[in-house]
Amino acid sequence: MSLKDRETANVGAGLWKGTGMWAWILFRISGLVLALYLFVHMWVISQGRASGAHRLNHIFNMFDKPLFVFLDLMLVAAVLYHALNGVRIILMDLGVGIRSHKTVFWVLMTVAALILAVFVTVAFPHIF
Amino acid sequence: MRPEAMARHQGGMWPWLMQRVTAVLVFVTMAIHLTATHILNIGDLSYNNIAGRLAHGGMAVVDFTLLAAVLFHALNGVRMVWLDYSLAGSGRRVVDVSFWIIGVAAFFYGAWALWPWVTG
Repeated sequence: MSLKDRETANVGAGLWKGTGMWAWILFRISGLVLALYLFVHMWVISQGRASGAHRLNHIFNMFDKPLFVFLDLMLVAAVLYHALNGVRIILMDLGVGIRSHKTVFWVLMTVAALILAVFVTVAFPHIF
Repeated sequence: MRPEAMARHQGGMWPWLMQRVTAVLVFVTMAIHLTATHILNIGDLSYNNIAGRLAHGGMAVVDFTLLAAVLFHALNGVRMVWLDYSLAGSGRRVVDVSFWIIGVAAFFYGAWALWPWVTG
């Protein structure tokens, strides 16, 4: 097998397995969800100027319902995953920790989980 | 260069660099944004609550930086996904220009929405 063939053959094998593959798929899904949410969020906040303070406060009252607080925490989780996995990607770009990228990933995910725990603790009384 | 390493650069060198620069900006400003709204003011979000926060010049700078950086980051991210599933070449320039128009329009829409709070 020539060198070129081996490189080409290795592309799929290297990318589509294990931790790296799932990290990439979740990164992409969370990114698309957050991009979509960005525009929803901008529309909601713009109601303050477009429809007035009363209308905006009415929408905020709906967000206080347990279901929306829970969905909000899911968004925080998506932000934390995307942000902390993004840190890993920038570290890899800088050439830091490439040989231990799986360890770096799980350390960063632990940090993400701890920060999420803070948000959940604060939000908890507002769900129940 | 290995094929997968080259593929990362197919979006162009400047968008690639800007995606990292905006990532850092979003990381910092969104941390402040979420701490202010979801930790310090949880349960108290209202029109006046936002007004009180944006009256401080520092928070206005944070939110406008976040608005510009996150719009670039989100739209370039969607553009990168689109590039992965399309054959680069025909129509790419049209798509790039379209993303810029959407981004600039969205920035001015967001700035328009925040302005009454900033100016008080």
